[in-house]
Amino acid sequence: MKIFGNKKSTVQVSTNMATKQVRYEALVKALHGDLYRYGYWLTHDKQVAEDLVQETFLRAWRALDSLQDEKAAKSWLITILRRENARRFERKRLEMSEYEEASILDTQSTSAEQKIDDNWLRDKIAKLPPEYSEPLVLQVLGGYSGDDIANMLNLNKNTVMTRLFRARHQLKDALEKEPDRTRLIYER
Amino acid sequence: MKDNSINDNATSAATSAMDDLHFRRSLFADPTTQDKDVIEAQKNDPAKKRLAQELCQFDEQIKQAMKIPVPDDLCNKLLLRQTLVSHHQEKRKTRIHLALAASIAIIAGLVVNYLQFSYSYSNLGDYALAHVYHEQNAFSNGDNTRVSLTSLNQKMTTFNGNFNESMGELIAADYCRFDGMKSLHLVFKGLTDVVTVFVVPKEDHLTFTDKFSDNTLQGESLSFQHANIIVVSDKNESLSKWESIIKNNITWLI
Repeated sequence: MKIFGNKKSTVQVSTNMATKQVRYEALVKALHGDLYRYGYWLTHDKQVAEDLVQETFLRAWRALDSLQDEKAAKSWLITILRRENARRFERKRLEMSEYEEASILDTQSTSAEQKIDDNWLRDKIAKLPPEYSEPLVLQVLGGYSGDDIANMLNLNKNTVMTRLFRARHQLKDALEKEPDRTRLIYER
Repeated sequence: MKDNSINDNATSAATSAMDDLHFRRSLFADPTTQDKDVIEAQKNDPAKKRLAQELCQFDEQIKQAMKIPVPDDLCNKLLLRQTLVSHHQEKRKTRIHLALAASIAIIAGLVVNYLQFSYSYSNLGDYALAHVYHEQNAFSNGDNTRVSLTSLNQKMTTFNGNFNESMGELIAADYCRFDGMKSLHLVFKGLTDVVTVFVVPKEDHLTFTDKFSDNTLQGESLSFQHANIIVVSDKNESLSKWESIIKNNITWLI
């Protein structure tokens, strides 16, 4: 009787493991891109972004049972990633090297002109102060509302909205200083 | 271009319900805002409407620019790494379980050993009585089984002893644990009940008691050079008779 009971619970455990595996794989497939990009805009370094994503998903795997609501998965992962990034700075105060955005090559099949514009804009986004670029990335890329962002960054909403305003304003200013870039907003 | 698109709001600003600065702030903070005032303000002001459209367009560009290419192998790397980690954990868990099981087995072994071989009686007599009572139901005077002298002597070789003649009707002869010591347990047919004879190696932990008894049983011990022989019977039996039979019959090989 007892042996039978044990066997049953072993089966139960491995089904749970299988379910967890499936959840995890779905999570990775759906969100690794967003997370990588978020990590990139946080660190401006592809390798570091990749490491962060690895670390984040590893932690996510360990804590997967605590994730109750799949809809909250993305912001949950972003929170883990931000914490990991903060930890990285605690480990060693990295000297902020010059960004190397210009070297990023877009593999998506877009026109040459588009690529140049993207790179130009990337450079400008990267040069925004981090407190401006972070909410902007969350809003534009993550699709989060001002309230969500305020929650995630532990700021009040007014601060977030002001930073978003300034972020766009700086980008637009930069754009207007270079008349040949204005096609970014006027011609398409 | 800059002038007519963004700053040239002079004509409409005065009539707008929403002041220009507020409008710009809201729109720049979120070009897709569904704020009623912001939407309303655009309706009567082409310049504001154009600004809103421009910012939406610009946001598309920003989004495009932010979508940096994700490494193709990242997804697989993540899955692989997790698989390795959980495999590792699984292995470690198995090892821990194995170690636990082994520890428990060892402890269980020790406990059994301790219980089985620990000395719980201080003298031969007490233990002999307890032993006989314990096996009281295993043998009865009416048992028909008999053990031959040859097979008895085979068993006696362990104690380097030998019986010359049959000492009576031997119902059973077997090794047993006599308070942790390997001993020979002989059961003879007696007058009214079985007579038990133990051949026990000499050990220090049980003090020698030559005569002992309780309400129903009596016993005597004979001390030889390498072994003690203990006889236990009911009170109808003459122990001295058994003693002399044993003494006269036994030969020690060393």
